[in-house]
Amino acid sequence: MSMPALVPPRRAVVLLLWLAAVLLAVLQISRSTFTADLSAFLPANPDAQQRVLIEQLKSGVPSRTLLMGIVGADTGARAKASRALAAALQRSGLFETVSNGESSAFADVGQWIFEHRYALSPAVNAQHFSADGLRDAIADSLSLLGTPAGNMIKPLLERDPTGETQRIAETLIPSNAPRTEGGVWTSRAGERALLLATTRAAGADLDAQALAIARVRSAFAAAASPGLTLQMSGAPVFSVDSRAQIEREVRWLAIAGTLLMSTLLLLAFASLSALVVAMLPVASGVLAGIAAVSLAYGTVHGITLGFGSTLIGEAVDYAIYYLIQAHGQAGSGAGWRRWLGSGWPTVRLGLLTSICGFGALVFSGFPGLAQLGTFSIAGLLAAAVTTRFVLPVLVPDGARGVGLRRHLGRLGRRLFAVMPALRWPVLALGIAAIVLVWQRGDLWRAELSSLSPVSKAALALDASLRADLTSSDAGALVVVQGADVQTTLQRAEVAAARLEPLVERGVLAGFNSVTRLLPSVATQQRRLHSIPDADVLRRALDEATRGGPLPAARLAPFIAEAEQARQRPPQTPASVRGTPLAPLVDTMLLTRSDGSAVALLPLQPPSATGAVLDSAAVAAALHGLAGTQELDIGQELGGLYNRYLGEAKAQALFGALGVVLLMALWLRNWRRVLAVCQPLLLAVLLTLGGLALCHVSLGILHLVGLLLVVAVGSNYALFFDLLREGGDSDDDTLASLLLANLTTVLSFALIATSQIPALSAIGRVVAPGALLALLLAAVFAPRRARAA
Amino acid sequence: MKTQAPERTRGTLRRWRTLLTALTALALLTGASAAWAIDLPGVMALLAQRKSGQAHFTEERHVSTLDSPLHSSGTLTFSAPDQFARHTLEPRPESAEVQGNALLLKRGGRTRRMALDAVPELSALLGALRGTLNGDAAALQKHFRVEVSGSAAKWVMHLTPLDSRLAAQVRAMEVVGQQSDLRSIELDLTGGDSSLMLIDPPTALPR
Repeated sequence: MSMPALVPPRRAVVLLLWLAAVLLAVLQISRSTFTADLSAFLPANPDAQQRVLIEQLKSGVPSRTLLMGIVGADTGARAKASRALAAALQRSGLFETVSNGESSAFADVGQWIFEHRYALSPAVNAQHFSADGLRDAIADSLSLLGTPAGNMIKPLLERDPTGETQRIAETLIPSNAPRTEGGVWTSRAGERALLLATTRAAGADLDAQALAIARVRSAFAAAASPGLTLQMSGAPVFSVDSRAQIEREVRWLAIAGTLLMSTLLLLAFASLSALVVAMLPVASGVLAGIAAVSLAYGTVHGITLGFGSTLIGEAVDYAIYYLIQAHGQAGSGAGWRRWLGSGWPTVRLGLLTSICGFGALVFSGFPGLAQLGTFSIAGLLAAAVTTRFVLPVLVPDGARGVGLRRHLGRLGRRLFAVMPALRWPVLALGIAAIVLVWQRGDLWRAELSSLSPVSKAALALDASLRADLTSSDAGALVVVQGADVQTTLQRAEVAAARLEPLVERGVLAGFNSVTRLLPSVATQQRRLHSIPDADVLRRALDEATRGGPLPAARLAPFIAEAEQARQRPPQTPASVRGTPLAPLVDTMLLTRSDGSAVALLPLQPPSATGAVLDSAAVAAALHGLAGTQELDIGQELGGLYNRYLGEAKAQALFGALGVVLLMALWLRNWRRVLAVCQPLLLAVLLTLGGLALCHVSLGILHLVGLLLVVAVGSNYALFFDLLREGGDSDDDTLASLLLANLTTVLSFALIATSQIPALSAIGRVVAPGALLALLLAAVFAPRRARAA
Repeated sequence: MKTQAPERTRGTLRRWRTLLTALTALALLTGASAAWAIDLPGVMALLAQRKSGQAHFTEERHVSTLDSPLHSSGTLTFSAPDQFARHTLEPRPESAEVQGNALLLKRGGRTRRMALDAVPELSALLGALRGTLNGDAAALQKHFRVEVSGSAAKWVMHLTPLDSRLAAQVRAMEVVGQQSDLRSIELDLTGGDSSLMLIDPPTALPR
């Protein structure tokens, strides 16, 4: 066996280098972390407002809040199960807060508020402790006595005659608390007991979230009587379920893809060794892709892996081209050299156009899409390099087996012979598609949620639990930011003061602010400093209570506690660590590693059903406040998505332009370039038309799919161009083309069946698009090529 | 942020007052005369006659820890089926207004809105109230044991809470009326405190 250009030592070097690269990739992959959350489809470089939004979605309290419902049996059984479940979850230590409407759960917080009432009460100022102020405040407290509420106040009267505790509590009344029945939260229709729990673990820690969810299930199983069912929702459930789903799908896609390609290859080559060899570029590509993503982004998203199965279909093409074309004139081990001259340049150009298409994705603002791009570029490069350098070493003469290839080639020849007759009907269809797409002006109406793998049923359950709990993730917030915690708290106090009149006017049903529980140090100091010393206070109290129903002599505890409060230092987020207040503060005040802080003031729109928040009124009230903005999460997410859709459109356009430019550079003939672009454009149009006909709401991933149709389809158009230039084509070459197309179409058809919307969207566009690209390339193949 | 115990109680109080207001208003609305003994359906029928009205009230509360009783006065308004308000004018202006499931509290320059059914005791009261407003004895009896005595000219409705949570706060309630007017509401609390609200004859609600 003579190998003139590749002597054995060099063969060994090539193989060793390849093995080393594979090992390095495996090493990198073994050190990678894999994620499966929706955050991959949130922008990587957000502005200040988006940053708050994304922090909320990724690690805010909503990301670790579980919503639970208990249905079945009767009210008593549900309430009993609710209490037992809440108690079990509290004992588990996995949860920061567990709420089911039992008022005892808040006794600790109430105690804390009572102890710090003079720092927290908005009424406290110097005037408040004058004789007039005291008289007024005491009258205010007394007005509650002699009523059922008075029973609660009476025991506190001697320590808190000015009613600071009530005043603070009053500010904390939620305007939209869930309905309570049998002592626990119940849906308004009365058929479901409700619970809320926040995990201690971060929302991104999916293993911990899975553990917490499992604990809820087991605790419920232990606590519930027969006939009761647990419903669970919330971001942790979605994240954990999505991860499991993505893992399942990735495994299934990988197995199905491999089996499908193996079957095709066996049919085509009827040779096991050919199959093994053909899988080498594929395996190298997949490894390189994962390793590259892991290197570039730190983590690998599950969807990227799922998408990886399409790489199997693409990368195997290189092997197919090589195995068939190097075999062409069988013989002396020099087949690979012939292929380097004839086949490789075409493969190289195809590789470059594909990279052009995927390259546009790398610049996407969505890390998820950028990962897909990086994965595909690295994968295709590795597959091509493996084909170019490793396959010649292993199988210098390509594959010997013929299998059904001859039949495929003959079928192709016959098919391609009749295709050009369809030229005019296809053009008519193209025009029809343009009209259809133009008529359906709202074709691009998919929303961010369309990327989420969460099922409609799960979303419906989530919405109904949220409605019952009147806890909305996608509500409106006022976001207050500052360079440090105290600045943020002071700004939040100003914002809260501006919002208060809106509650009176009915623009808001209410709002919440961390400063009601934890005012800024400055405010606390102002309040505490306004408490007079014990003697002055005693004199004022004597005067204030003269002739009244509550004699000053009974109020000695008040004077003692006011004196203690004067000397107590103000509370800060640091000092409330470990107190019952901490979880409540954490939900409304976020501190970042750089010391800056964000206060979130959730707004409650006017009375429950159907009322819309008057954003303009809120914005007007907050006008001119530093670091303060209104944020409507639903709207903001929609806006975000639309911005990225716009960006993706530009990127797709550039990607397509890049593909065309590359072909133009290669062909150096405008007529040929136009001839190549024609079927591509029509393939995109017909695909779009088909989607419009099926009333598919298009989103970013459909756009990505169209870009890939151009990138992949360009290979087929180029091939027919080369046929014209090169003259004849044998059945084997036609067969390799058909086979390559088949593998691509099938691999994308496979992900089209995925339950993950991000994957199925791409698959549903690329599978028909790539097939159309090949057929249309044949339809518009230059006549001279056919005659030849 | 979830409801705290003190605020819960406070809400209960407000709603109690609201209930009282409404009951009072209901009472004010009626005005027929009959000398024979009356039963619950009879009172309900009388109360159902008035659809809206406004009345002045004075209230006296006895609280065990205080040296002297507390006095207040103001107006009560009602408009069928589910709107009622108590506006206290003396000694300090404050108000509680209920519409459907929404409660609006105004007190010392502060405004708060809340959902009625978030507080269980209130759900009971609200059910009773709606039952009374609509002349629906069954709704009233769902939450209270009801005893009626007297005649249409002057009847007395004695209410004892059935719900244990409500019973933990309220021992009994006595509503006295003349024809379709409520004339007084007396409330006995479990702690020994009590309140008596006297209601003037109603005037029509200004449109």
